[in-house]
Amino acid sequence: MKKYIILLLLSVFATSCTDLEEKPVGLIAPETYFNNTSELQAAVNGSYGLMSAEKYWGRSLTLTLLLRSDMCDIGNISTNVERREVNNFSVNDNNALITPLWQQSYSIIGAANQAIDGSKKIVADPAKINAIVAEAYFYRAFAYYNLVRLFGDIPYIDFAVKDISSVDKISKTKEADVYKKIITDLEFAKLWLPNKATVKAKPSKGTAAAYLSSLYLTLGNFQKAYDESKYVITNEALFGLGLENDYQDLFNAAKALSLKEPLFTIDYTNIELGDQGRDFQGFLTGIDLDKTYAWGGGFSVAVPSLKVYNSWDQRDYRRAVSFDTVMRVSATSAPIPYTAFTSAIAPKRPHIAKYQRFAGPAGLNGRTSSNNYATMRYAEVLLTAAEALNEITPATSEANGYLNRILTRARNKGGKIVSYPPNVVSGLSQADFRKAVLEQRRLELAFEFGRWFDIKRLKIGVEAFGPTGFEPQSKFDPSKHYYFPFPAIDITRNPNLAPNNPF
Amino acid sequence: MLKNQKIKVAKWYLLGFFILTGTIVNAQQRKITGKITSGTDSMGLPGANVLLKGSTSGSSSDIDGSYSVLISDNKTVLVFNYVGYAAKEITVGDSNVINVVLSPAVGSLEEVVVVGYGTRKKSDMTGSVSKVKASELTAYPVLSSEQALQGRAAGVNVQSNNGGEPGAPVKIRIRGGNSINASGDALIVVDGFVGASMPAPEDVASMDILKDASATAIYGSRGSNGVILVTSKKGKSGQTTIEFSNSTSTQQVNNELNMLNSDQFYNYYKNILPTYKRGTANTDWQDVIYRSGFVSNTQLSFAGGTDAIKYYVSGNYFKQDGVVINSNLERYTILSNLDANVTSKLKVGLNFFKSHIENNGIISQTNTGGTGSAGVVSSAYRFVPDLGIYDAAGVYSLNTIGDVIDNPYATAMENINDRINDVNRINFYAAYEIAKGLEFKTTFGLSSETYKFGKYQPSTVVAARAQKGIASVFNSSQTNIISENYLTYKTDLWVGKFTALAGYSYQKNKFESSTAAASGFVTDLFSYHNLGGGAIPIKPQSNATISELASLFGRINYDIQDKYLITFTGRRDGSSSFSKNYKYGFFPSGALGWNVNKESFLENSETISNLKLRASYGLTGNPSIDPYETLAKYSDIYASSGDVSVNAVVPTNFANDDLKWETTYQWNFGLDLGLFTGRINLSVDYYMSKTKDLLFSNPLPLYIGIPNPVQTQNIGELENKGLEFSLNTKNIVSDSFSWTTDFNIAFNKNKILKLPNNNADVRYATAPGSFLQPDSQVLRVGQPVGAFYGYIYDGVIQTPRTNLTSSTGFEIAPGGENFRDVNGDNILNSSDKTIIGDPNPDYILGFNNDFKYKNFDMNIFFQGSVGGEILSYTLLELGSGTANATTDALNAWTPTNTDTDVPSAKVRTKFISSRFVYDASYIRLKNISIGYNLPKDFATKIGLSRARFYVSAQNLWTLTEYPGADPEVNYLNNNNQNSNRNLGLDYGSYPNVESITLGFNLTF
Repeated sequence: MKKYIILLLLSVFATSCTDLEEKPVGLIAPETYFNNTSELQAAVNGSYGLMSAEKYWGRSLTLTLLLRSDMCDIGNISTNVERREVNNFSVNDNNALITPLWQQSYSIIGAANQAIDGSKKIVADPAKINAIVAEAYFYRAFAYYNLVRLFGDIPYIDFAVKDISSVDKISKTKEADVYKKIITDLEFAKLWLPNKATVKAKPSKGTAAAYLSSLYLTLGNFQKAYDESKYVITNEALFGLGLENDYQDLFNAAKALSLKEPLFTIDYTNIELGDQGRDFQGFLTGIDLDKTYAWGGGFSVAVPSLKVYNSWDQRDYRRAVSFDTVMRVSATSAPIPYTAFTSAIAPKRPHIAKYQRFAGPAGLNGRTSSNNYATMRYAEVLLTAAEALNEITPATSEANGYLNRILTRARNKGGKIVSYPPNVVSGLSQADFRKAVLEQRRLELAFEFGRWFDIKRLKIGVEAFGPTGFEPQSKFDPSKHYYFPFPAIDITRNPNLAPNNPF
Repeated sequence: MLKNQKIKVAKWYLLGFFILTGTIVNAQQRKITGKITSGTDSMGLPGANVLLKGSTSGSSSDIDGSYSVLISDNKTVLVFNYVGYAAKEITVGDSNVINVVLSPAVGSLEEVVVVGYGTRKKSDMTGSVSKVKASELTAYPVLSSEQALQGRAAGVNVQSNNGGEPGAPVKIRIRGGNSINASGDALIVVDGFVGASMPAPEDVASMDILKDASATAIYGSRGSNGVILVTSKKGKSGQTTIEFSNSTSTQQVNNELNMLNSDQFYNYYKNILPTYKRGTANTDWQDVIYRSGFVSNTQLSFAGGTDAIKYYVSGNYFKQDGVVINSNLERYTILSNLDANVTSKLKVGLNFFKSHIENNGIISQTNTGGTGSAGVVSSAYRFVPDLGIYDAAGVYSLNTIGDVIDNPYATAMENINDRINDVNRINFYAAYEIAKGLEFKTTFGLSSETYKFGKYQPSTVVAARAQKGIASVFNSSQTNIISENYLTYKTDLWVGKFTALAGYSYQKNKFESSTAAASGFVTDLFSYHNLGGGAIPIKPQSNATISELASLFGRINYDIQDKYLITFTGRRDGSSSFSKNYKYGFFPSGALGWNVNKESFLENSETISNLKLRASYGLTGNPSIDPYETLAKYSDIYASSGDVSVNAVVPTNFANDDLKWETTYQWNFGLDLGLFTGRINLSVDYYMSKTKDLLFSNPLPLYIGIPNPVQTQNIGELENKGLEFSLNTKNIVSDSFSWTTDFNIAFNKNKILKLPNNNADVRYATAPGSFLQPDSQVLRVGQPVGAFYGYIYDGVIQTPRTNLTSSTGFEIAPGGENFRDVNGDNILNSSDKTIIGDPNPDYILGFNNDFKYKNFDMNIFFQGSVGGEILSYTLLELGSGTANATTDALNAWTPTNTDTDVPSAKVRTKFISSRFVYDASYIRLKNISIGYNLPKDFATKIGLSRARFYVSAQNLWTLTEYPGADPEVNYLNNNNQNSNRNLGLDYGSYPNVESITLGFNLTF
């Protein structure tokens, strides 16, 4: 009998053998993905979604670009060292803003690469596939365009990484070659993207062309810069583009979806999940302890120098849109002028208003806002066309016309037409027109993260940061500071990336 | 036994009945009675065991030491056993009354030690095992058995993760941390259930802590952090024992920080902001949030049984009101153990455990610490003292300096943080003696644990004001199934005794979790109970994982003449979580023991009653690989396009086909010495362990193209070396007065031997997010894990540091923080950061004294940790000019007060520096208690067999130079991933407490 008992016990419990193979649920295994175009679209969206992270447009990239320029200085002098180092040109190869933006740029690229690679697995109408995957080409180009302008020679990866060893000893690609590859991507995007995307968060044909024009302008290829921008301008209506009537509307979260001016936007919805959907522009640029807005004041981190404000003609409506000059200690209390700000850390200077004033539903201090940031506006396309044309053929009425469209719009002071700023004087010399365009780029696009790239493109750092500049920076060295060093840790691991940029 | 009875048994088994009624009485049986007394004082020994040799039947003595037992044969040999006494065997013969006098064992040699899948006599042990007794675990009331372990065993470091917070998790490290990124938690085995949660301390009969590889290798890939075997209380045959115990404690915060009052604060802050507008109040925020805590602990248990069935049933109710307002906890547990001797050869048993914990907490130790999310305790330090709880309009006041935070009262009272935890665990065993010396045992266990975390931030707090309330509910459930089958064979073989164990184990773990959340509530009254009432849903999340572990294990013991002891142990573990190429790992160990005192030259020694030498070597593992971690993965992320949420997928993980467990190679050399017939017992162990193939979160190239470019790889080596002493002395032993002392001390030295990327430093940051400080710690070859990394503070700058050029953000003017230019390049920057402290203690100790005088008893227990350091983020924050300051600020540098090491009043970058690194050494009077036992005659008169009343005090006295609130700190240590490397960090912990306890134990 006892044998039966034992057998019974054994048979019940000792038979639970297993092959120990994992059958995950609730996860996506790469080998089973990319079956149809909606899966492809989700992978493409992944690349776009990563741009909204704190490590990219949310803070690291945008704050770096703001502080590096002459239009925005450090406000709170006890803020993080890495921010001050970006601002005053003493960045080393372990900077807590540069490292995350470097890494996140490659995440955006990595996601685009996976989508592009995955698209080859899908059986569907090639036109339909191309229209979707063209977005990924654009996102990859967008990320590389920012990277190459910041760092110069960089590792260029345009394939889906499946194995770490395929890239851990990769070499740098020359700056000029990176630009070529970006052009190829943008050309593909321009070919396949729709004339008009369903939302501004998606690129369209015009977006690709506008970025081509920007890139050619950066390279000093004025003819192509003109051609591409002209192409966009010619197809303005077809592409659903144009200038808004009221400059303030460009910086109003409630109106963001109805704008025609943006070529591409990075959307925030007051929802954050992990690192996604977190922006800090209002938080970084707002006034410490200010209670004007429901979400409380900002942290006075990035605040323009007084000269930026004082030198800006006070009749210019765009100055009023761009700056907050008063704070309140409670929502209903009397405004306190900037000369009497009551904070231990906020400098007594006007602060940037573009990202705080109409940030829509927002988290504390204006973080996790509802802003949709235009990475490029139609106004910039007009300015690019004007600048490029002036370099090819000075003193054309066409170029004047482009500039005047912007100035005309600036005279719409919230519905009331004023006389400032006046149109450009016709018949300006090439040099004077060049100066006028650049000045309009600086003011029209103030604090929109493009100024540093203009300084670098035109190599005007010595002047911009010199004693007569808006923000004198004694450490600026033109032989070093047009490039950022990239994170030393990547060079330690992969010596093929040496030498790092001079710094 | 009759055959048909066996069939009946089999049927019962099949039906799953565990309460068996068949006590089989044979007609020829007769009754033997007698009294078992102690040889030292002639007192009766209650609860001594009487066994019929060669069987499992028997009984135990009652409170007077009297026993009765049924025998059927005059040749029956009775074996009398009592813990701490030498066993005695008596052949029955014709007598019906047998009185027995037992003599104390030589030392505590006959103590039985629980080892994996069995027990061993202590004298037969070759491995390093510490035993903690029930009386030590219940010396003073604590919520969890883990807490009760503190200071009780050499080399076992126990710390609360959050001061005196009700229900705070407890961290246990055995012989230091053997890992950097993988979990360092010891494996807990409760009554054979591997990976169980511990029962309440009152239900624990003993804990055996397996420390060296010889002891832990039987748990293979899970053994490297040590194993704690918990044995819960069981019934004994004989008289029924009913125990009722209750204790009530009041608690006070054991230390507060001296913060500036309103006047002092104003004088301080106007130096920072001359226009500062002073508030009208004078609030001591620590007074506002602290209160008297209260703990009550009630336990009722029944134990007893017959030869056939023994039972233990208990219920426990624990209630705690924390010392911080609005924090409290209630726990209910039920534990029951049933053991039945179905036949003389078949035994079955059932363990049943259920607990329910409701914990309403407050937030503390928050790791962002910035706007809106400051913890209650840190905001009590930070908040300006010149505001009251409410402003003039009756609204909660907000801080007027630094980040905008709620006042601590609002944070404590308004936020809802409910944690509800349920554990259900049942396991049964059946053991069958197949042949003489050959036993088969099967166990089958099932446990499910659910956890719910409901959280509501109402619209009245700044963190959720704009969102009009944020509610979330997190639910998780964990199901654990374990089935183990093993054979044990004991026989005499050649010149010695041979024991072999072989078995198979299968364990399956299923985990599921989900979160739902919403914001935008029309009323705060919903709390988190009506998520649908929120206008804005927050993306729900859920996940599920399954993991399996299948193992073969075995052990061989060969004891030659009880002098020479040989042990071999091995386990082969296969885990589903392991990578494709490394599914199975093998973990062997071997050990030798020599009972020198049994050699002829010592056999008759009067002085040396015990001398044993032990040596062991073995391999154990740490399997902390998450399910699916080795697979390539795409994950969804949040993305919106045109302000509409869209599906978005990104690559997040690369496949790693070669990831395997980390392996610890450990040597252990031990010596056990007993002197003067066991009056002095000393154990010394020296160990050296090397952990290789560390499960290291290796940073991948940043350009690899995934959002979190890290992959767990087997890289790096770590070493722990240590020395442990346990000394037990019976200082005074007499009829009326006794004094025993237990002292343990353990030294551990931890060193990193190898790191990835050619031993490059690995820096990591732990400062609260609002500090915005990178790299506060470093892993460096040759250094211990968790070294603090920052600037060296050389006091206050007295003369301008004009030689410093190009230093961004560093002070050069007098009054500033004088950081050392370590590399001498006249530039202060991150290259000047260096190692500024080591959180690892040089040694930890416990010192316990028990006194008995007639009916009185007294316990004095010290516990300590010496030589570690603390990096205090709390004091760093308070010294940075954006918060209220400690009274140190009264001595701040001014042009007229230059002889000070406190810099001038100023808003400062929160640089990590040696200025805030402190000696964390402490010695603490953990418990002092005085108890009184009612005289036996009197107790009997009122129907009790025993009654003890006691008063005790915990944490009454602490010797430390740490200037923070308490030196037992564990900020950022609740996460397994970092629990080995985030050591000695202090930030806004729930305060530690001192308590006064009144209690009684009644035995019926």
